Amino acid sequence: MRRPRLSLREQPLPGGQPLAFGTGLLIALIVGTVLLLAAGHEPLKIYSRMFEASLGDPDAWAVTINRAVPLGLAGLAVAVAGSMGLWNIGAEGQIMAGAIAAAWVARIGGDWPGIVLITMMLIAALGGGGILALGPALARAKLGVNEIITTLMLNEVAIRLVQWLIHGPWKDPDSYNFPLAPMLPDQARLPTLFSRAHFGLLIAAAVIVIASVAVRYTAWGYELRIAGSSEATARYSGISLSKKVLTVLVLSGAIAGLAGGVELTGTADRLTETISNGFGFAGIIVAALALMRPSGVAVVALLFGAVQIGGQSIQTLGVSSSVSTILQAFVLFGAIGAGVFSRYRVVLDTDARSTNRELSDD
Amino acid sequence: MMRGFDVETLRDRAVEMRRKIAALLAVCIGLGFVLTSCGGDDGEDTKAAFVYVGPVGDAGWTYAHDEGRKYAESETGVETAYVEAVPEGTADFANYVRDFIDQGYNVIIGTSFGYMDDMLSLADEYPDVVFEHVSGYKMNETNFGNTFGRMYEPRYLSGMVAGSATSSGLIGYVAAFPIPEVIRGINAFTLGVQATNPSAQVEVIWTSTWFDPAVEGDSAQALLDKGADVIAMHQDSTAAGEKAEAAGARWVSYNSDMSAFAPNAFLTAPVWNWGPRYAEIINDAKAGNYSPSAYWGSMAEGIVDLAPIASDVDQSVVDMVMDAKAAIIAGDLHPFTGPINDQDGNQVLGAGEVMDDGSMLGMMFFVEGVIGSTG
Repeated sequence: MRRPRLSLREQPLPGGQPLAFGTGLLIALIVGTVLLLAAGHEPLKIYSRMFEASLGDPDAWAVTINRAVPLGLAGLAVAVAGSMGLWNIGAEGQIMAGAIAAAWVARIGGDWPGIVLITMMLIAALGGGGILALGPALARAKLGVNEIITTLMLNEVAIRLVQWLIHGPWKDPDSYNFPLAPMLPDQARLPTLFSRAHFGLLIAAAVIVIASVAVRYTAWGYELRIAGSSEATARYSGISLSKKVLTVLVLSGAIAGLAGGVELTGTADRLTETISNGFGFAGIIVAALALMRPSGVAVVALLFGAVQIGGQSIQTLGVSSSVSTILQAFVLFGAIGAGVFSRYRVVLDTDARSTNRELSDD
Repeated sequence: MMRGFDVETLRDRAVEMRRKIAALLAVCIGLGFVLTSCGGDDGEDTKAAFVYVGPVGDAGWTYAHDEGRKYAESETGVETAYVEAVPEGTADFANYVRDFIDQGYNVIIGTSFGYMDDMLSLADEYPDVVFEHVSGYKMNETNFGNTFGRMYEPRYLSGMVAGSATSSGLIGYVAAFPIPEVIRGINAFTLGVQATNPSAQVEVIWTSTWFDPAVEGDSAQALLDKGADVIAMHQDSTAAGEKAEAAGARWVSYNSDMSAFAPNAFLTAPVWNWGPRYAEIINDAKAGNYSPSAYWGSMAEGIVDLAPIASDVDQSVVDMVMDAKAAIIAGDLHPFTGPINDQDGNQVLGAGEVMDDGSMLGMMFFVEGVIGSTG
């Protein structure tokens, strides 16, 4: 039987990534046009709005960047774990844990100066995310328990914890019994860089650069990647796997937690149960589209953010939320997914012992 | 959702990433030139935008608001638009509102409690835009008011129907969150139940969600399994009714007449009728004389009502309920009239006393006859 299979190109496609990217985007827009026409919309008007709302002017860029920040940090969290072949599906909950920790600092440090308060909030956020990841990390490192299940399940725990805090001990006494946490103190808000883009951009950029360098250019990162590609090789070369698993998963959780802290001080007025807004799950897609490389996360997050913001904006033209979501998915996978085809080609397999390198064994 | 794929093989260089950014920018700028065609704002006209927390297809809360939007559009002739499924407490809400305002919308109506603080600060930022918030309590003096309805009135009536329909004496109530609005509804419903069936009890399950058909259905099933033969709800989907239908039990829906979703189970429903109020707000804005208020409309004003009662309900019950409805509208009957005891038997309202609005708005206790906890 002839089966389609991805095979690494010996020669990269002429034009490479940019060509693939452009083609993918074009295909996505054409498919999207069919969808929009079928739903009774004017595609040009819709695409125009998508672009204007996300990248049309500095204000639009600011909105997109504020969206890309949590997406990038969440994506980085997943990618750091992914560099070692680990799946952190718990970024959603870790974002909430980070936000809880940061909100807690804001409660006790309401009269601290802004810079001290925000710094402490962000450090606490790192800790909060890290602590939530500690359980799955220990279970995986010491007992071999699958981290996908444990990190996923802790998302539920984190959301219930936020709900309990908001409905219980942290309920604002001035909220007429409505389940609202108190507003953050004014000095707990991140400063803005331009338009409404907040300082989280620089924080996310710095963390992404540091993580990329660490994974790519340090001995620690090299060992990480070895362990990710072959456990046996790692063991043979004397790398302590359990210690690495522990550090990497906790680090991954901490980065996701930081996203929660940045989101709290950057865009939210107060701790809410929607603080993570799906960023943790979107982060998995960001990381996967960045091919699990921390260095790729920034670009993907920016594009993802633009697509989300643009895609949401077209709802104001009467596009339903489901059509908008489908369109966002087309653009994302068309544009970024196409990158795969500049490096790989589809072959129809007749011989199982093909000499080509397979996607799954490197 | 995501399939694992081995990524170590797909190594790439930073150069290529930079090329990708360049390409992205090139494509986007190019697209911008090609596509920037849609015209400017109309400026002077009144245009109203609605922001919904759920999908308009939920048949419940958001559906009822969207019906109101359509009514207001046809009544006022003002162009309206909406966005759906906008989560609370995120940057999304303000993004959408700014989008609308950019496009010339100057009346913004937000229909979920969690939008309140965003609306307050946006109203400050855009003093020329009218903001009206449904279900909150904040307002300003110029361009931000709030609207809600005395849903406890038809809740009480629906309780009377439910009380007459139960034979097990246990009524299940699937409820979202223990906040005053929901608790007030449960209490009013229970007092209505007791008006037709003094010994019946109402058991509450909290779902911690406004809209999640799976959770709502499971909660209804749990109550049915405990012996409840009528299910009431403060939820936005029809899932509880579908469980009641399957179990051969009865159902009091909410938000809108949901009889089509469970034709045998459906008894009646306390429903919203937002249209006239929305038309009023939009007309005021259009005429330039909008002034913010804390509007808490009653059944007499028409913003809340009781859906038609199922045809198999005994005519004597229907008559009794209609008499009560007329009395509420006339101001002769108030559901929260003492004596009222709390769950533990402590009297909270003396005989003949009528509860004031402040106490109703902050209600955090269950009346006698409710099984469950407010915490």
